[in-house]
Amino acid sequence: MMRLSGEPAYFDLEVTVNGRPYRRTVTTHRRLLDFLREELLLTGTKESCGEGECGSCTVLMNGLAVNCCLVLAVEAQGAEIVTIEGLAQGGTLNAVQQAFMDCHAVQCGYCIPGMILAAGQLLESQPRPSRQEIESALVGNICRCTGYHKIVDAVEQAAGGGA
Amino acid sequence: MSYLGRSIKRVDGLGKVTGRTPYTPDLVLPGMVHAYPVFSNIPFGRITAIDLAAIKEAPGFIAIILAADIPGENQVGVIVHDQPLLADEVVRYVGDTIGLVVAETAAIAHALAELVQVKYEEYEPVLSMEAGRAGRGRLLHESNVACSHRSVRGDVEAGFSSSDLVVEGTFTTPHQEHFYLEPQSCLAIPEPEGGITIHGSLQCPYYVQRAVGGALGMSLARVRVVAAPLGGAFGGKEDVPSELCARAAVAAMLVGRPVKMVYDRRDDVQMTSKRHPFEMHYKVGVNRDGRLLAADVLLESNAGAYATLSSVVSYRAAIQALGPYRVENVRAISRAYYTNLPPSGAFRGFGAPQVCFGHERIMDHIAAELGIDPVELRLMNLIKPGDITSSGQRLDNCAGAEKTLTKARSTSGWLKRLPAGAGRYREGWGVATCLYGNGLGAAGWRMDGAGARLQLLRDGSLEVAYGLTDMGQGAITVVAQMSAEAVGVELSQVRVLPTDTANVPDSGPSVASRNVVLTGNAIRDAAEDLRKEMTSAAGQLLKCPPEQVEIEAGRVRDLQSGREIPLAELAEQMFVTNRSMGALGWWHAPPLDFDADRGQGEAYFAYSFAAQIARVKVDTVTGLVEVLKVWAAHDLGKAINVAGVEGQVEGAVSQAMGWALTEDLRMTDGRVDTVNFSTYLLPTFTDMAAVETIIIEEPEPLGPWGARGVGEPAIIPVAAAIANAVSDALGVPVDDLPITPEKVLALLDKADNGGLGTGTTAIGSHG
Ligand code: FES
Ligand code: FES
Repeated sequence: MMRLSGEPAYFDLEVTVNGRPYRRTVTTHRRLLDFLREELLLTGTKESCGEGECGSCTVLMNGLAVNCCLVLAVEAQGAEIVTIEGLAQGGTLNAVQQAFMDCHAVQCGYCIPGMILAAGQLLESQPRPSRQEIESALVGNICRCTGYHKIVDAVEQAAGGGA
Repeated sequence: MSYLGRSIKRVDGLGKVTGRTPYTPDLVLPGMVHAYPVFSNIPFGRITAIDLAAIKEAPGFIAIILAADIPGENQVGVIVHDQPLLADEVVRYVGDTIGLVVAETAAIAHALAELVQVKYEEYEPVLSMEAGRAGRGRLLHESNVACSHRSVRGDVEAGFSSSDLVVEGTFTTPHQEHFYLEPQSCLAIPEPEGGITIHGSLQCPYYVQRAVGGALGMSLARVRVVAAPLGGAFGGKEDVPSELCARAAVAAMLVGRPVKMVYDRRDDVQMTSKRHPFEMHYKVGVNRDGRLLAADVLLESNAGAYATLSSVVSYRAAIQALGPYRVENVRAISRAYYTNLPPSGAFRGFGAPQVCFGHERIMDHIAAELGIDPVELRLMNLIKPGDITSSGQRLDNCAGAEKTLTKARSTSGWLKRLPAGAGRYREGWGVATCLYGNGLGAAGWRMDGAGARLQLLRDGSLEVAYGLTDMGQGAITVVAQMSAEAVGVELSQVRVLPTDTANVPDSGPSVASRNVVLTGNAIRDAAEDLRKEMTSAAGQLLKCPPEQVEIEAGRVRDLQSGREIPLAELAEQMFVTNRSMGALGWWHAPPLDFDADRGQGEAYFAYSFAAQIARVKVDTVTGLVEVLKVWAAHDLGKAINVAGVEGQVEGAVSQAMGWALTEDLRMTDGRVDTVNFSTYLLPTFTDMAAVETIIIEEPEPLGPWGARGVGEPAIIPVAAAIANAVSDALGVPVDDLPITPEKVLALLDKADNGGLGTGTTAIGSHG
């Protein structure tokens, strides 16, 4: 939560988001999550717990999946950020997005952007994960709707199709 | 039948995988400001002063709304009028809302809300159901009982005295938090002509419309409510959004700007409704063979601070207290008590998962006493077509009760299961069955209607509006499938509009698995009118009698000559010849003949049936329960979207696994201790059981294409099946949820020390 006492400190942030460079002045206590959602209006990144426990706010920072509710915007200085909005190229879904559609992995959808980014990063580091490996890799991403099986199906399909 | 009974990809999937679906917290409007609630931090007391000094001069502060600012009625109780929209005198739980701070940013609104100083005269709070039941000291409301229901038939005492065995047991189930991933949120937009538009994460737009109209003293025609895409609801966004939206509406009218409000997770958990905890006492008499002869059931639940939907839950609990079994002598009483805890309210299943735990545990106690196979005992007692339910309703379309059970048994390999063994890891098997009354039931059938509007456009595409909502379960896709099917357009040519009170007459709440049956029938009703017009125009075009025209999947054909034209051509022709191209459809539940005093008669217009079998592995050293697999057999009448059904079942299994095993909601002095995901443990990827969904299709005559609801039935038997399986594994009755490792170890200890009593049993006098 923001503090009301004391003068806020400002910072000139330079960051690349979905391939585009941005330069903005932010307060030093601003979360990367709020910077993305409120400054850049990239609202595909979701907040659910705000405490690093659910994975809804997952984005890629320099290629690594992070919960951006726990990252300050200033920590992203000079970083490359990828959000869910940065995945589809020219209207074509990436393999993971397509697989989530094909495998009926989506219900309410609120966990899905974080799932897709986390799954994408898994497949980067491990192109052919087993079902068990998928489950352990995504264990920090909570879904309340699906019971997870169709999400694992989707990641498996994306792995098969992408190789 | 081209679009039904298949796995159809979600029509709203694209936005969800690209991050473009606009959920309520994502909405931004010019001039928009933000609100955050000021809520009570004590469980019970009288407000003596509200000190605003700390916030009024703060940068970014715009306004604070208190009870006195409400232009209309300060009342938001949906059934019982016991809940002020903003507490002005008494606060009844930690989280009871006193005011709203409006500020330039969400962060400022939240910070300022915490700075408002409220002084109280504190009262002795009622912090448990036992205290609520005792009803001593200061009461929250006129009575300590929020509601009570009964379902009584036959002569229970006579039933017991003719029984060979009477088995008793007490079963308890805990609170459950919905933990939808998208927190409660809404956006209230004052309209230039004096009305208001609400966008929100809400299941029941017409509830919200009424609440907002009431709070503002505004005619309903000026209140428009649009359901934004929902990031999960599960009942948690049935009545609660009425509170948020009505408060935000008052604020928006006062400041003249759009007001957005999104709850923080911790506050959401503290402030909003939960599944009712139940304490259930079952006393059941059987003959030697296991035939149920009499049942005396007391179902007590914790209503929390306000009645909200307790009466719906309590009614359903009493009616379904004995599940799908025939019992001629029954006394089922259900009561909910007020306590100074967050209100209990709607949660997927409405009391049915709780009583299912009760009736399925007692069935296993009976099976153990008589040495009968648990499935056999159930088969012997299940209702069959033409039988009367324990709540006095003759059912002719209930073959699914038996079919789901026998199919679950054969698919799971139940008959070949091995004994639990005595090693460190013990496997167990459990079975549970249920029935679920579709719709609002006898108390609400006069309002149990829903609408759909179809509009054919001149290029042959179809716009569909409906009055219920998609909370993530896939209603939009099912509505699109049913519309395409009923009208004869291609599925890709159907667009389902967001649910908007301006589009369709009041269709009631999106609850009780109403969508498929009510909306489906409304679509068919509308399609009948529309198709009359279409076939008549087609007859003119094709020069054949209208009866000879077939319209299917975008093709219009003269069945005799085989001549065919595209639907687009027909639609254009209809437009240029002034044909009516739209239709409003409506369907309402049939009248129900029900004796409310005795709780007997036609309680619901149709029922869904399910049987599930669970296989678990228990680690006797750590106490951890692993659910290896759940076989879930469901009679859906007709599965409209097969993948959608599987998704509903798998999701329900995971929610119920949490309720059964790990979701352990703790409170101290009315304050929830487990307010986040690290203390309130939801099932994760690695916890999830394998699930096999078994679809049985026994057509429901009142259902569209024979369909019945499935969203709720899927969750009802899971926890009971798991508890039965754990009992089987340990050889010890498990009668209290959640089955945490601590409880498993304590049960094992108790068993080792020989201090174990199963439910009290007594052999009756009859020989
Ligand atoms: S919102 Fe960041 S992890 Fe939950
Ligand atoms: S789809 Fe709803 S939380 Fe995952």
